[in-house]
Amino acid sequence: MADEGGGSRGVYSIGAVARMLGIPVATIRNWEERYGAIVPERSPGGHRLYSRDQIEQLRFLAAQVSQGMSAADAHRLLAEQREGDRHLGSDGAGGDMRLLVLLAERDPVAADLEQFFLRTEGYEVDVALTVAEAEERWLDSQPRLAIVELMISGGQGADLCRRLKQHEGGAVIAISVLEGRDEALAAGADAFLRKPVDPLELVSTVKDLLGASALVARGGHENR
Amino acid sequence: MDERSTSGDEGLDRILGGGLPTNGINLIIGLPGSGKTILCQQFIFAGATAERPAIYLSTVSEPFEKILRYAQTLSFFDRPAVGRSVFYEDLGPAVGGDDGLAAVTERIAALIKERRPGIIAIDSFKALAAFAQDAREFRRFLHNLAALLTAFPATSFWIGEYSEDETRTAPEFAVADGIISLARERMNQRTLRHIEVTKLRGSDFRSGRHTYRLSSDGITVFPRLADPVRQDDYRLSEARISTGIAPLDRMLADGYGPGSSTLVSGPSGSGKTLMGLHFIFSGAANDEPGLIATLQENPIQLEKIARGFRWSLDDERVTVMYRSPNDVYIDQWVYELLDLVDSTGAKRVMIDSLSDLQYASPDPVRFREFVYSLTQRLSRAGISPIMSSETPDLFHLGRLAEYGISHLADNVVLLQYLRADARLLRTVTILKSRASAHDPEIREFEITPDGIVLGDPIAGDHA
Repeated sequence: MADEGGGSRGVYSIGAVARMLGIPVATIRNWEERYGAIVPERSPGGHRLYSRDQIEQLRFLAAQVSQGMSAADAHRLLAEQREGDRHLGSDGAGGDMRLLVLLAERDPVAADLEQFFLRTEGYEVDVALTVAEAEERWLDSQPRLAIVELMISGGQGADLCRRLKQHEGGAVIAISVLEGRDEALAAGADAFLRKPVDPLELVSTVKDLLGASALVARGGHENR
Repeated sequence: MDERSTSGDEGLDRILGGGLPTNGINLIIGLPGSGKTILCQQFIFAGATAERPAIYLSTVSEPFEKILRYAQTLSFFDRPAVGRSVFYEDLGPAVGGDDGLAAVTERIAALIKERRPGIIAIDSFKALAAFAQDAREFRRFLHNLAALLTAFPATSFWIGEYSEDETRTAPEFAVADGIISLARERMNQRTLRHIEVTKLRGSDFRSGRHTYRLSSDGITVFPRLADPVRQDDYRLSEARISTGIAPLDRMLADGYGPGSSTLVSGPSGSGKTLMGLHFIFSGAANDEPGLIATLQENPIQLEKIARGFRWSLDDERVTVMYRSPNDVYIDQWVYELLDLVDSTGAKRVMIDSLSDLQYASPDPVRFREFVYSLTQRLSRAGISPIMSSETPDLFHLGRLAEYGISHLADNVVLLQYLRADARLLRTVTILKSRASAHDPEIREFEITPDGIVLGDPIAGDHA
């Protein structure tokens, strides 16, 4: 990740970082104490000095948190990304290449787990807990793929699949704790998975339908 | 949906209808020392893989170190798996913190994200209840945890020392998909362990109590032999097989029906064992393998008796299964018997005696069910059992066998002593011979070096 600019050298003060990223100074300190993931260099006088890599990492954390993820999960995700030595950019520079997945799930607990497993694979995830919300997001942010829980909004998941497929655009995976293959396929879904969804199965189905993993897609974009 | 997790024990898997349905929440309950932790570890080492590992979470009543120390004494404990497919974690710090039970759910959620486990065990789960401010908080915790464990595909085990009363009132019993209870009871100076599945959503299971044993191999379960009553049990065949005593065959219209069960009832020393040996060795003489399952004489004593009548246990068509009556668990015994019947191809089986087995049974109803299932199973395979049973009184006949066992046998042969002046006569009577005619007279017999020799019918009023 090092570049000619010396991405790992401590350069920026905590105040500058806070202004650049729009995160309160107290939050940055708090994350450091709590998770110890991003620890800046100290000047001889004891002042924090952040490197460009660390700013990227903080930007990544801030992006996850702003999308509704807990700080703890965002740090866990950061650790996973670092382990795989993956690029952390989600700053929109990739614009049209970002792989956004819409997750229309009625159960917030399941949504939390599913979005986490998708994010660890590099996907951006937009969570909608109702049919109306999901349809709005589908039109607004045009995700490449939607995951639809058939029991959402009192069982309107199949209708949602049908409507999403009517619009130009992405693939749809239906998920349900009930046997719903026929219902899902009749509604135009591209795949069906039984809940509770195995993380590996979820991610590989998404990959298959998108034709490439999020990480490969990003890597390809950067190399262009 | 139909996926099953093995317990690592064939008997228990059979009771569970082929293993535990995956992804459910299962309670393992029982008193201290009943083997809850061992059973849970058994499931873990049988099911954990590097891709879908197991997480074992100790709470406050089971110290983390202690669980590990004892776990390593079990034969299935796989040291290299620890840290790779089996992870031990301590929930103690989370429970003890300011956030209480909410921190437990949070910690488990974090572990799910980090490890993606296939199995999650919490030992002891019951101890967590003490950390709730009130019943409401505990219910909220249960609800949140259940929601989390339902959203992720993992099989959970919650372990606890719940009392009988608590199983009716504690909210975790309503949440659980499966409940396995381990218990001990004292019986005739011995401890009998039994396992019972009381709930298993979405699956059939074998109800009732099943005996199990604990050893370094973990839990070994002996599913209780309880065959359903069937209408097609009686094959009415013309063929007959010899009792080994020609005049007795004549009293029975040419012997017993093949696959029929015979009860020989009589007081001590009246010749029950000898009658069994006649049956076994006459079969062997016709190349029908025989099995002698004895709890009375050890093989040396039995050989001595056999030699007295010119037979020998060296006969390769005869197999002896001796178990001390002091150390017999009927459910384990019967599997050993059936295995031997299978491996030796035995056609005739002698059980000496039912009285010993009855002494080792937990209760009369269970004993009756046991004898019924055993005789039916042998009968369906065309194997003929001869079973002895001791009557308590020498002269006066109160009853043939306890608990209506005589109703379960196809043939009942009664051996009795009769007083005749200054002599003691041995007599034999056929009380019952199902689906065939029989001669109901009382016949005197003697025990000679040739075995049982029948005399004349008794006339007049003896006894």
